[in-house]
Amino acid sequence: MPTLNALQRHALPSLPLVIFSALLLYLALQAPVLLEPYTLNLILRQSLPTVLVCLGLATVVMVCGDDAVAGGIDLSIPASAVLAAGIVASQVAHHGTPIAWAVAMAFAAALLVGGVVATLVVLVGMTPLLASLASSVAALGITKWVVDNRRINLSEPLIVYLRDAELGGVSVSVLWVLPAVLLFYFLLHRTRWGMNLQAVGGNRDAAELSGIAARRFIAQAFVLAAATGAGAALLLLARGSGFTPGSEENLLLEMVLATYLGAAFSPRRVVTLWGAVLGAVLVSALSVGFKSIGVDIFWTGCIKGALILLVVASSALARKSAA
Amino acid sequence: MNLITPRLARHALPRPPQALLSCLTLGGVFVLFAWLVPPFLQWDNLRNIVDGSALLLILALGMTLIVAIGGIDLSVCIAFDMGAAFAIVALKDYQLAWYLAVLAGIAGGVLVGLLNALLVVRLSISPFLATLGTFFIGSSVQRIFTHGGGPISFREAPLEFQNLAVGVLGGVPVKVWLAGAVLLVYFVLLERSILGQRIHAIGMQKSAAQHAGMRVGAIVFAAFVFASATCALGGTIASANMQMFTPMAGHAYLLNAIAAVFIGASLRANGRPHVLGTLLGTLFLGMVANGFNLMGLEPNEKAAAAGLVLLLALSLSAWQQRRR
Amino acid sequence: MTTGTQPGPVLLQLGRICKAFPGVQALDGASLVLARGEIHGLVGENGAGKSTLIKVLAGVYAPDSGNVQLDGQDLPALTPALVHALGVRFIHQELHLVPHFSVAESVYMGQELQALWGLDRRAMRKRTRQFFNDVLHAQINPDALVRDLGIAERKLVQIARALIDGAARVVVFDEPTAPLPGGEAEQVFAAIRGLRAQGVAILYVSHYIEEITGLCDRVTVFRNGRDVARFEAVTAASADAIVHQMIGREIGNLFPVRRAAVGAPLLQVNGLGDGAQFSEIDLQVARGEIVGIAGLLGSGREEFTDTLFGLRRPTQGTLRLDGKLLRLQSPADAVAQGIALVPRDRRHDGVVLDMAVADNINLASLQQCATLGLLNRRRANARAAQQAQALDIRPRNVQTPARLLSGGNQQKVVLARWLAAGPRLFLLDEPTLGVDVGAREEIYALVAGLAESGVGVIVSSSDLSELLGLCDRIVVLFRGQVVGEYPAASLDIASLMTLTTGSAQAAAA
Repeated sequence: MPTLNALQRHALPSLPLVIFSALLLYLALQAPVLLEPYTLNLILRQSLPTVLVCLGLATVVMVCGDDAVAGGIDLSIPASAVLAAGIVASQVAHHGTPIAWAVAMAFAAALLVGGVVATLVVLVGMTPLLASLASSVAALGITKWVVDNRRINLSEPLIVYLRDAELGGVSVSVLWVLPAVLLFYFLLHRTRWGMNLQAVGGNRDAAELSGIAARRFIAQAFVLAAATGAGAALLLLARGSGFTPGSEENLLLEMVLATYLGAAFSPRRVVTLWGAVLGAVLVSALSVGFKSIGVDIFWTGCIKGALILLVVASSALARKSAA
Repeated sequence: MNLITPRLARHALPRPPQALLSCLTLGGVFVLFAWLVPPFLQWDNLRNIVDGSALLLILALGMTLIVAIGGIDLSVCIAFDMGAAFAIVALKDYQLAWYLAVLAGIAGGVLVGLLNALLVVRLSISPFLATLGTFFIGSSVQRIFTHGGGPISFREAPLEFQNLAVGVLGGVPVKVWLAGAVLLVYFVLLERSILGQRIHAIGMQKSAAQHAGMRVGAIVFAAFVFASATCALGGTIASANMQMFTPMAGHAYLLNAIAAVFIGASLRANGRPHVLGTLLGTLFLGMVANGFNLMGLEPNEKAAAAGLVLLLALSLSAWQQRRR
Repeated sequence: MTTGTQPGPVLLQLGRICKAFPGVQALDGASLVLARGEIHGLVGENGAGKSTLIKVLAGVYAPDSGNVQLDGQDLPALTPALVHALGVRFIHQELHLVPHFSVAESVYMGQELQALWGLDRRAMRKRTRQFFNDVLHAQINPDALVRDLGIAERKLVQIARALIDGAARVVVFDEPTAPLPGGEAEQVFAAIRGLRAQGVAILYVSHYIEEITGLCDRVTVFRNGRDVARFEAVTAASADAIVHQMIGREIGNLFPVRRAAVGAPLLQVNGLGDGAQFSEIDLQVARGEIVGIAGLLGSGREEFTDTLFGLRRPTQGTLRLDGKLLRLQSPADAVAQGIALVPRDRRHDGVVLDMAVADNINLASLQQCATLGLLNRRRANARAAQQAQALDIRPRNVQTPARLLSGGNQQKVVLARWLAAGPRLFLLDEPTLGVDVGAREEIYALVAGLAESGVGVIVSSSDLSELLGLCDRIVVLFRGQVVGEYPAASLDIASLMTLTTGSAQAAAA
């Protein structure tokens, strides 16, 4: 019956949002400390690395298309972030390199990874999945070599500043990331470049027929995504007061969850920038919330994994009923 | 009537001759290692390579099935871990006989496979996202179960169980026999049976397979379950080797398994994943790991070098595989 | 109906265009003249050369000979970019829209307006609304999402995108109303008339003769790769003459003599409908009978055929095979019941391109090639070779990948596959689309032979002469309903065409 179908189509994608809101509500009720300014600030600060990499993933998904079969995914962004973080940490702590140089090297390395993925996708013809997976392996391996697979403590002033400093009760790092978010928003939703990029992802044939050079946009997106990874590196270092091996897995988990969750929030039901950012903050809230009520961190991971499936399943089912 | 411009080749680089590049690469690397580290060519060392590749082969074969049917399975390592966990728990907490422990391990894999199958076939989630979700959930579950990721060991496992991994039969390790058996089963399934024909058709052109009257959903469902069960067997053997279950031990195998399948696929004229190609891909990766070992690389140097080799190998095989 | 506006001076001229492809001369000295401010209809059967001519104009194909003139100037080698810059725009059959874009965003895709500070969304919205209002005579909300629009509105968006820059001088419409439900076409017509009022030269390609006569000022008829007639001052009365020109001489006899030996009833369809594209369809097919289904794009013919094979689920009606009620959930169910389909998209749904011919042929009957579940290669190859021999599949080597075969041979492979499986009911959807004449004859003989062996056959096709030559009975669909059922012998091409284009109804009204 048509009405049931329409219900399915509109209700299903909202299901993750409903469940998510319910979860958050439950957590807020169980641990009112969540709503205090200190905790809110903490939530924001913890979410920042994810926010940045989500900007990158959202861009890639927007240019390669929502359809996850041949579509857009970039698994190498967390690897770029970790590689960049490792380079900064090891250079500053082990080699005494000035922070500015270290950061420059880190950025270059991350952009190189992005460039490799871009080349593999655009010139060699690999699917983004495989290209980013393979590049991720290489980047992570190199990271291990760079940091000797060890934790590196950092007390570098910049890192401490990002971690601790506040301005009017809000972490300074938040104030640093905000312009990045605004910049991406402007680029993607307010410029011709952004509209064309979205067109490539929305319907590549249509875009090419309109004279848009799809390949160029795809390549640019992957490099840009890697750059967000580099930005996230500094925040990772701040968050952890140094380099911790193995941080890429959680970052990957949160990045994927936040980005796809964000699609459920958007009025157009597609991956959008603000949706991804909101998703990242909410995922962080979830993590902090669960910790506050004493839930095992591993259970949190489990729930996040289940949420990804829930989000993706509901949008897949909604799409099927619309067809 | 379609007025669309015939699409210019989406990719700029021309494609190299079929399989040539892969063969050159494999041969070249072999020669390189033989030259750089003379002990490489010794019989004992070559046997080591084969021995060390057995577990990866089992995982890669499961992956081959999923790639052949047109998907990808990022949760093969989870099935592997479940195989180890269920087997060890069966032995330790339930004192089951060794063969029941093996069955328990496989059952663990079946559970993972069922989850994947439900997600992919019933909920129409793409295999990548579905198995990614399973990967995350599975990793978390393991951490929960072991209260933080510590291994569960069981040193009093019956001899038969231990022999799965360390025993020797007629001069050949049992591990290798088992891997060989799985290889045979998969070979018959994918390359010789009519079910294999169907699987390849589904992987190549799902719509055409559907139009030919195949029960695509049922076959894909079964494939996910069977692949995971296979990987679980690998995990069970691994647990017999170390006499313990190490959480997330399977992670290390995931990317190698994917690489082995895709490298193998590039060795065939039509670029399709196939069992013998996976075998060669697995041996290649084993050879690379072995060579780096002999060269005296530190573990972290090895990680970096192996990562780069993997990237290169996958790139070359993708370059070759591009359709006209 | 023309409004008496005189078309202006000649704008576009295609002169004696020739274009050959391997095995077929697509264009054989074709000419076309378009004037400013006219709606010019282009008609012709499938394969008459219309689409090739359009592609030449679009810069997709380079003609072997002939010339193209715009405003009296000879044009150099055309490319899509050049053609677009010259003001020639194409409204393809496929919409090419992004579902989650708004109307304004879609209209301005690739030609976005910029202000000092990024996109000028306000201007884009305003101009979109204006354009729709003034030129297309339609109301639209520029912020509405494409996926929430009806098909006619989406068509208007597509049209607006091609014309919003105001530089369009020639617009080519390719079957614009085919996917539209009856009432919505009027919106598109209003838009097209609005364009004419602006002095644009419009080329309107369509199979719907009634529309052509109602909308166009002049009509050019194509047959066998060239223009064969030109009609000035077209009215409804011109329809018959137009159809006559489309058909031309009698086609040589490709069709085998039918010995109508109709057997027991096989298929019984009652009141079948899918709630969208077709409804209330009744159909009976007996063993040994060949029943044709005729209907244009948009008549529900394709969807009906798909439903018979389990690709779509009906919302009303019943389907019985040999008396047994069938509830088909998927093609697998249909095949299990003994129904076979030769699909219209051969390369996507028919042959598995990268599999060998032998594997393709055996794909629906693998059990018969198996020993204990293992593929018996010798038997499989023998079966395939036998089929290849019987159907004269070239090249005869059954290990050839199907991709390398010609369209006709690929079609024979699909037929062979089903012959090897032995179905009761055979559905053929556009069986000779893209198939050369030689293979066509062989396929027709095969189909006739099928019927003779006691199988029930349904041929769904847009090729009217094929239906007339091959079938015993023809059921005509128009806009989702059965218009009538006729013995093939009682129809000729003209009358059949009249029926499929709905002109009979218009004439009767």
